[in-house]
This record gives sequence, structure tokens and C-alpha cells, in this order.
Amino acid sequence: MSYPPKLAEIIELFEVLPDVEKREALISYADSAMRQGPREGETFDLEDVRKDEECTDTVGVYLKVNADNTSHYRITLGPHVQTLTKAMTSILCKGLDGISPQEVLDVEADFVPKIVGADLVRQRSQTVYYILTRMKSAAKVWLNRQRALQSGEAA
Amino acid sequence: MSDSQYAHPEALVSTEWLAEHLNDPAIRIVESNEDILLYSTGHVPGAVHIDWRADLQDQTVRDYITPEAFAALCAKNGIARETTVVFYGDKSNWWSCYALWAFRLFGHDKVKIVDGGRDKWVAEGRPLTREVPSYTLTEYPVPAKRKDEEIRAFFEDTLKHSQEQKPLIDVRSPGEFKGDVTHMPEYPQEGVLRGGHVPGAKSFPWKRAVNDNATFKSADELRGIYEKEAGLSPDGDTVVYCRIGERSSHTWFVLTYLLGHSNVRNYDGSWTEWGNRVRAPIERS
Repeated sequence: MSYPPKLAEIIELFEVLPDVEKREALISYADSAMRQGPREGETFDLEDVRKDEECTDTVGVYLKVNADNTSHYRITLGPHVQTLTKAMTSILCKGLDGISPQEVLDVEADFVPKIVGADLVRQRSQTVYYILTRMKSAAKVWLNRQRALQSGEAA
Repeated sequence: MSDSQYAHPEALVSTEWLAEHLNDPAIRIVESNEDILLYSTGHVPGAVHIDWRADLQDQTVRDYITPEAFAALCAKNGIARETTVVFYGDKSNWWSCYALWAFRLFGHDKVKIVDGGRDKWVAEGRPLTREVPSYTLTEYPVPAKRKDEEIRAFFEDTLKHSQEQKPLIDVRSPGEFKGDVTHMPEYPQEGVLRGGHVPGAKSFPWKRAVNDNATFKSADELRGIYEKEAGLSPDGDTVVYCRIGERSSHTWFVLTYLLGHSNVRNYDGSWTEWGNRVRAPIERS
């Protein structure tokens, strides 16, 4: 399975890190999670802010798709989200930046244990997959809208 | 100071008390969380980290570590047999109560919980550090055995308890108890095939024992909930359970230490065992 280039770079880095440094890198990514939110003046094609039953706090996903079909995500997290989920937010915002919505949909979640380490992905830390699910959900909604628009134009 | 009306007020300390004892050589401060990386983002100065899964559970069989492994865990964290271990953590102290309960399994009785846990400490603006402390290795004697029979219930014990209509307390959310959902609110599904509760169990969600800031309710309030409303007797034979045993550790702490009930066991297999077990009887309401 090949991953988007930026994500592949992050995965490769984590795969060679010893456990202690892997944790430090995750903490560093988690620290930058709060900087992944929308910046002043930015506009988006899709905004999806909600508190789901399976997550401890509200997560906002903001998607912008450019004319060249590249996509950019901004994400906001409520304060009660787990540290691992915060780290994955920063990793995904960086790793999936600039790929198309269809490519986001095609990203398989099997990279998560490669980054996080199998011992950290366990019962009570499964929400680490949640952010990717939400990003894919936004990409899918955007793609469906585009298809609807195109079929409307064709009609 | 804790409510002196509690049966064992010495088992509960305030954040103020903790702040005054950060350098007390007679205690070891232990953080236990659900969020596995939370300790690394900052912790109470001097606190060590004990993880419910990596440190307290056997990594192959679903069970707790051996007495030898427990002695090694204590030794490497600078905990001696006479050390008072003071636990605190996230999620209203679920996992710190779980760790305390696990320490009791090995006969380490000098234990305390910080009322309000990590959230209260942080909310009060008290110091956090990322510096991981290093303590001199102790020589912790290997406990003769794990005292499972005293404070732990297994499937067969809980089934017998149910059949004999003895006090059984389900501390999960009402939706889980009724069988409407097979996951905890705000959590993904954790692999349970059937929803509902152990026949005869009464629903008393763990959260009823705490205030909004995660501190425990007063002794009077707790007696009203567990003795008057639930009908539990201080000398009764009670089994508590939840999903994997952490929320029920919280209620176990309340019943054992704050109300002084003498015979309370935690069924740590809980619903992830019962709800998956072939032919385990289930009640829905």
C-alpha cells in the first residue's frame, strides 16, 4: 500500500524511531494540534463541526478544495480529546495536505499502528482513528456534491 | 481535607494536601490515566506513571501481573512495602482507583486517592512538569500471592451472585444497562456482542458518586445513594461491575473506603466478558 508522499515521510520517520523518541514526537505533534484550526480570513467549501457519540469532545473539520483539485484541511478539537488523537490530528493535517479528496478517501487506516506503535493502539485509544474517519467523511460529502453538480449540469 | 464522616477519611486526600507533600519521602505519587500519553504532556512534580494495561495487566492472558512482576514494578518506581502510594489520574480518577484496587490485590494497603484527580489539580493552576523523576530502586518483597478472592470477582462468582440474588451493582451508563447500546457514551464500540445487564443487577452509574469537579460526594450523600436507595448493607456481600473494571473500581473505592463496606468485590471481567460469553444469562429493561 502506498501512502500520500507527505504522510509516507512521516510514517518512515516514526518507523525508525525508538519507543521513547516516538512518544516524544507524538507529544510534539499533540502540542501543535491546537494550531491546526482555521486561520483568519480563510474560507472553506465544507465545515463540519459536531460532537459525535463515539468521541469525547467536539471536533470541527474544515475542508477547502482548490481549482486544481488539491485539498487542505483545518481541524478544531475540544479540550477533552485524548493526546493521541491530538497528535494524529496534526499528523493528518500535514500528511494529507495537498492531495485530492478522492486520494483522501483512498488512504487506508493501517498506517496508524506504524506511527503510534501497536502497544499504544489498544482498547480505550481507538479514537485515534476518528479524525481520519471525519476527514474522509468531509471528502466524501464534497465529492458527492461535485457529482450532483456535474450531473445537474449534464442534464 | 476530606469529609471526616467517611469511613476511612485517611484514604482520600485533597489537592492542597498533595501540594504540601510533593517532597514527602514517605509517599510516592502515582498517575494512572486512560489517556496513555497524558502523563508525558505534564504531570504532578515527582509523580511516576503506572499504566493500567502495560504495567498492571499480563500482556498475554487477560489477567493481572504476577506477584513477582508487581514487586519489580514497585521496586523500579521507588515504592517500598511501607511507602504510602497516592494515586491520581484523568477521567474522574477511574484509572487511579483501578490502580489502587490492583495494588490492594497484592496486599499493598497504604494507599490514597487525590480527590478530584488530575482535572482538579490542573483546574487549580497547580504545577505540572514533563521531567520524569528517577528514584532509587527499592527491594520490594514479592507478595506471597495475589488476593483475588478478597476483592475480585470472576464470571462464576458473579453468576452465582446473580442466581442467589445477592447485591449486584452495574455502574455503567443507563443506556448500556438497558441494552440500548453496546458501547459507552463518547466511546467507540469495544467488541461486545450482546447488550443488557447481569440478571438482578441494579443500575447505579459511577457518576452518581461524584460532583461536577470530579470530587467525591459527601458521606451522607453517598449513604443516601448506595445504602438507602440501592439497599446495600455495610456488611453485605456486594459485587460491582462495568465494562472492563475501571468504572467499577471507582465505585468499589466509594463503597470500601468512603462508606466502609467490608465485603465488596470488583468483577473486572465485566461486560466485555459477560456480554460475549456463550449462554451467559442477560436481562434487558
